[in-house]
Formats: sequence, C-alpha cells, structure tokens
Amino acid sequence: MIKNFFESIGKYFLFLQMVFRKPEKWKIFWRQFINESDKLIISSILLVGVISVFIGGVLVIQTASNLENPIIDKMYIGYMVRESLILEFCSTMIALILAGKMGSNIASEIGSMRITEQIDAMDMMGVNSAGFLVLPKITAATILSPLLMLLSLGLGLFGGWIVVEFTQIIPPASYITGIKAFYNGFYIFYSCFKISLFCFMISSIAAFNGYNAKGGSLGVGRSSTASIVTTSILILMSDLIVTQLMLY
Amino acid sequence: MIKVEHLYKSFDGKPVLNDISVEYEPGKCNMIIGASGSGKTVLLKNLIGLLEPDSGEICYGDMKLSEMSYKQKKNLRQKIGVLFQGSALFDFATVIENVMFPMEFFTDWSAVQRRERARYCLEKVNVVGSDDKYPNELSGGMQKRVGIARAIALNPEYLFCDEPNSGLDPYTSILIDRLISDLTKEFNMTTVVNTHDMNSILEIGDKIAFISNGSMLWQGDRHTILQTECKELRDFVCANTLARNIIEGK
Repeated sequence: MIKNFFESIGKYFLFLQMVFRKPEKWKIFWRQFINESDKLIISSILLVGVISVFIGGVLVIQTASNLENPIIDKMYIGYMVRESLILEFCSTMIALILAGKMGSNIASEIGSMRITEQIDAMDMMGVNSAGFLVLPKITAATILSPLLMLLSLGLGLFGGWIVVEFTQIIPPASYITGIKAFYNGFYIFYSCFKISLFCFMISSIAAFNGYNAKGGSLGVGRSSTASIVTTSILILMSDLIVTQLMLY
Repeated sequence: MIKVEHLYKSFDGKPVLNDISVEYEPGKCNMIIGASGSGKTVLLKNLIGLLEPDSGEICYGDMKLSEMSYKQKKNLRQKIGVLFQGSALFDFATVIENVMFPMEFFTDWSAVQRRERARYCLEKVNVVGSDDKYPNELSGGMQKRVGIARAIALNPEYLFCDEPNSGLDPYTSILIDRLISDLTKEFNMTTVVNTHDMNSILEIGDKIAFISNGSMLWQGDRHTILQTECKELRDFVCANTLARNIIEGK
C-alpha cells in the first residue's frame, strides 16, 4: 500500500511534466482555454452564487444569535460575517463544492475518453494528449477561480444584507458599517491564493485519475470518486498548512 | 516497410507474445490473424508504440523504434494512421472536425484548405452530407469510415486497423475491407490489419501472419491459407463453413 502511494505520487508528477510541455500550437491552446473557462468556471457561477447568498444569510442569523451581549456593538456582526466569508467560506468551502462539481466533471470526461481509446488516438497522431486535454483545464481553473471567490464574497454579503433588511435582526446601518470595518486587503489575497491552489489540486488530480482510468464505465466511476475523496482531504490539509504559513 | 524481430512481451510474468518476427511491406494489406486472446492487439499496440516490448526490435525503415527520441517518435506518429476497434472518434468534435483534427496540429494550412482536404478524405470513404453530425449520431459503419478518413487525413505511410469489421454486418464489413485495400494500393501505404474475420482474410489478405497463444505459427497469403498444413490454423480457418467446404473439396 505504501509502495502504491509513492508510486502514484511519482506518476502524478510525471503526468504534470507531460501536461506542462509547451503546447503544439498556442492558438489551439487559447481556444481550449476559453472552452474550459466556460465549462469549469462560468457554469459554476449559479451554484456558487446560490450557495453563497444562503450561507451569507445563515451566517448573519447565527452570529447575531451568539452576540446578544448589549455591550458588544451590533456592527461586529457584519464584521464577523465578512471575515468568516473571506477567510474560510469563499475559498475553502467553495473549493470543496467545486471538488465535487469540477472534479467529477474532469475525471469522468477524461476517463471516458481513455476507455474509448480517444486518448490513444490522440497519442498516435503525435498530439500530446495530456497537454491538449489537461493544460487548458488546469490553467482555467487556477487562474479564474479567484473570480468565483470574489463573486461568492459579494453574494454572501448580499445574502446577509437581505436577511438583515427583511428580519431587522440588527439595524441594517450597523451591518453595512460592520462589513466595511477594519478592512485588511491581505485577507483577500490570502483567500484568492487559497482557492487558486485548491482549484489547481482539484483539476490536476481529477485529470490524473481520469487519464489513468481502467476497466470500462466502472473504472470511470471509480476514478471520479477517487478524485473527489482525494482532493477533499488534500484541500482541508493544505488549508491548515497555508493558513499557518500565511496568517501566523 | 516495418520489420519485427524476435519480439517478446509479457504481463505480470505471463508471456503474451513469444519470439514474433515478421515483415510488413508497402502497398499490401498485411494481416495479423488469430483467435480472441491470441495476442493480436498486443502485437499491434507494440507496433504503434502504445506498449513497449520486453525484448526484440521493431524497425520503421532503417529506424529502430526503441532507439527513437521523443521528437523522432512524434514525427513518426505523424506518418501513422490508426483505425481503432471502436473508431475512437472524438465526442467533442463533429465529423469534419474529427478529420481536420490532425491537420490543425501538424500543418500550416488555412481553415479553407483543411476543410477541403477533410471533405476529400470523407468523399474517399463515401461519407457525404454528414459534416456537422457528432459521432454518436452515426451508425457503426459510418463511424468506421470517418475513422478511416481521419487516419488518412495526413497521407500516412503506415495504416493500422484494429478489427475494422467488429460489430458490422457482412455487407458493410466487405465495403470497409475493400476501402482499406483500395486506399492501401492507391497511396502505397504499409497497412497492417488485425482481424479474426475469415471473410476479410480471404477478401484482402495480401500477406497473412497467424498467431496462436502468442506465437507466430504460419505466414502466407489468402491464396495459400486454405492449403495450410498447420493444424491450429486449419482449426481456425475451418470454423468458417465456406472455408471448411473449400478445404474438404465440397
């Protein structure tokens, strides 16, 4: 088992070496990059948006119910909601959601291409199949995922505002003051960096599992499940490490 | 010309190919025949470089496959057309995009030139008016034809076909066989066809190599196969009623 683990790590880095070879034609790469941006990022906007609005609202209610002390200014509720969204929800939680959506999409797409010999056909033409299929996915996911994080932040705060406005759980002016208070730009950078790293892991690990799928449709299913489980664990582990390195 | 010398291949210690030596000549339909599980596909995958042999040599012209650099292999692959058993057409591309795919990577032709060449190849295989269809909208026979059109798109020197008739009705099978044979002669390609279909063997087998349990037991052509003394090959051939009747003089 330990041997298999180290063997897989070695194969993963060899796979990345193939992926990051110079593309045969940049024109084809950019066209694929646009396609993958649409498939992986644009198509995730609705899911991320809906979840963020609801989580923003829930965070306001939960924080307000835990801060009923009259000494503490109500604006801190807005402040804490914003910090929770920036530091953890908009990067880590969104990445875990994307691990399911994006990871299964990539692993099953590449896996079914593997078992139907489409990848062999590309290799036989002399096309670097890993570079053609995977590089645009990794670059689109890594470069554009911070946009999803920023969108999630905006919609999360908006969701909180809707709850405040309609339930008057705290004065709306205090909520607005809170979400503007003690702003630290580095936290935005930290969160963008985290989601980029997580999306790199999601796309590359899912592609690796799909690329090495074996055994028909069952194999595709297995590779899809393996990529979601592996990336979910790795996201949580690397969240801890990155947080320790960047915030402490 | 492709030359195979003393090729051995095993999986997990179990031998699959034993001392295979054969030559494939240009302008001929060279066939690898044998029962299912005899090692035909493994031999084909070794020939095209998708598997590496344990020992032995595969030479394309004067070049040994095992001594080629990554770049040399890449260049060689641009001279190779492969028709896979399941056609392996790209799901994400239409019929014409599938045929244009290798041209996009390896030529500097304009979009118009690529389209013209793709249309020419599709006409060669009698697929007309299906340019914008996706592979899942085509029948099995049509998919094979598009697969052949894509394989010949860059005028390859070598054409490999893995069981081109599997899953096809006898009439379509013969059409595909004749198409492969005609294209081989027209473009003077070195064609290697992997099959266990007796009709194909008798129809287009210019040079035939019979494999049983990973060993090459017989080599000849479609005119001599029915007179063979090789017991394993006779059993294989006689599974076909027509061939059995010919052999037994009925």
